Amino acid sequence: MATIQHEYYCSIALDASGRQFFLIASKEGGIDIEEVAATHPEDIIKEKFSFKQGLTRELAKKVAEQLGFTNHLLDSAIDIFLKLWEITIKTEAQLVEINPLVLTPSGLIAVDGKMILDDDAAFRQPLIQELEEKNLSDLEKLAKEAGFSFVELEGDIGILANGAGLTMALLDVLSQIGLSPANFLDVGGGASKERVYKALELIFKLKPKCILINIFGGITRCDIVAEAIIQALKDFSNAPPMVIRLTGTKEKEGIDLLKRENINAFKDVMEAVNKVKEVLGG
Amino acid sequence: MYISENSKVVVQGITGNQGAFHTKLMLEYGTNIVAGVTPKKGGQEVHGVPVFNTVEEAVQETGCDTSIVFVPARFTFEAVKESLLAGIIMTCTIAENVPVLDMLRLVEMAQERDQHLLGPNCPGMMIPDKIKLGIMPGDMCHYGNVAVISKSGTLSYEITKTIGNAGIGVSAYVGIGGDPVRGKTMNEAVEYYSNDPNTKKIVLIGEIGSDEEEKTAEFIKEHVSKPVIAYIAGKSAPEGKRMGHAGAIISGDFGTAQGKIEALKNAGALIADLPWDVPKLLES
Repeated sequence: MATIQHEYYCSIALDASGRQFFLIASKEGGIDIEEVAATHPEDIIKEKFSFKQGLTRELAKKVAEQLGFTNHLLDSAIDIFLKLWEITIKTEAQLVEINPLVLTPSGLIAVDGKMILDDDAAFRQPLIQELEEKNLSDLEKLAKEAGFSFVELEGDIGILANGAGLTMALLDVLSQIGLSPANFLDVGGGASKERVYKALELIFKLKPKCILINIFGGITRCDIVAEAIIQALKDFSNAPPMVIRLTGTKEKEGIDLLKRENINAFKDVMEAVNKVKEVLGG
Repeated sequence: MYISENSKVVVQGITGNQGAFHTKLMLEYGTNIVAGVTPKKGGQEVHGVPVFNTVEEAVQETGCDTSIVFVPARFTFEAVKESLLAGIIMTCTIAENVPVLDMLRLVEMAQERDQHLLGPNCPGMMIPDKIKLGIMPGDMCHYGNVAVISKSGTLSYEITKTIGNAGIGVSAYVGIGGDPVRGKTMNEAVEYYSNDPNTKKIVLIGEIGSDEEEKTAEFIKEHVSKPVIAYIAGKSAPEGKRMGHAGAIISGDFGTAQGKIEALKNAGALIADLPWDVPKLLES
């Protein structure tokens, strides 16, 4: 067993809003790196570089020197940093981290690491596909295959909405008035009838007391959503009560389709939320 | 922001379902769509708009200067690159799930060439009553002097509609998109509209994840004297959960709704508790 003389931290991370990368390193590596970052930011070395320029040997050397490495350790630290960059590009990672990078009498050893990969690159990155399949629950897998985002929560109101922001805002509003959602489900942009139907099917599996559907059509069409709702209600006789709000693209067509089946739909989201309250007997 | 009622628009991917459908809606709105592009479909027409094989050809034949891209995510890189190389001033990408490295390369290319990108994963932008370059509902509001800048698509429809219903006009509606790497950042959009003589107030619609609102708050504090009203979604999101958008991830303290709200308040912005509180804050 090698003697650990010191623990370092190093990573390459995407700075998304800065549209660049950082090479990050610290002499204070190990499990407390977040604590170091919060309380002693001066102990964290951060050097930015553009994607086009890439991590240069000069920049890698500068950081390795700031960590206090000399001679062969300097060379080996530079190599490690350059390899981190190679991995970042090759795997389309947003973070490639070694923590701790330990110094032993025989040199530098990467003891533990972490990577954050880009789901959106899965179509050309087999590694990402493999990992995705392993890490998803059954319901999440179902959601992923159907093409929408889904997170299971604790409450009893099933949620189907479109757009992550609108869905989150809806959950916030429900929480603010003391109601509790059973899930987050963003059916995605331009959802097909089949996708909306599958989303409803998935929500049924959660056995919520009530379902709130909130669609603001842009690229998503209210008429297509309405068709999926009608189909699902025909196929699932034990579906919980549904409160529907439809507005935006093809709103009139969507609401008319529902009316023909004697299904009521609101145009205003607050009216719909109040209806949910009423259904739940609150 | 880099578009006007005089913009000549080309629709890339015009023969696809979404491309054709939204070309129709944009034409109905009055957007001056002069060309469409789909490789190998040159010579056709979609809703009376001539289709070309390449953007370059479309530029030569029609003088188009603005593009909206409806091609799927995995082909977005090539499509946007083509648009940049053809000299298009503003290229707006609707698709979600564009790989981050593709966007980084495109943003670097646009910056070097002094061209502009919007999106991806965005609804586009609109100058009400003048031009709609995107998939947002056209009837949310009329022209006025409030700029709406949003990371989210549908939530911004909700809020912009309540603004419109309150009789308040909008100078520009800009959906910067929900992905981590964007053509235009929130900060850049705020900078643009803080200098825009037609804009008197700015509405910001943010959500958990990334540090854009925090960076924008710093900018507002230093440089923006116009009133800013903000709504941040994701206050009730459980930590560590990913809520759909690549941008909407919370990690530690950073990127939380509370952190963003504090930063914006500190910068002098008014915070709306509920989406429909925005109009009343605009009137105050």
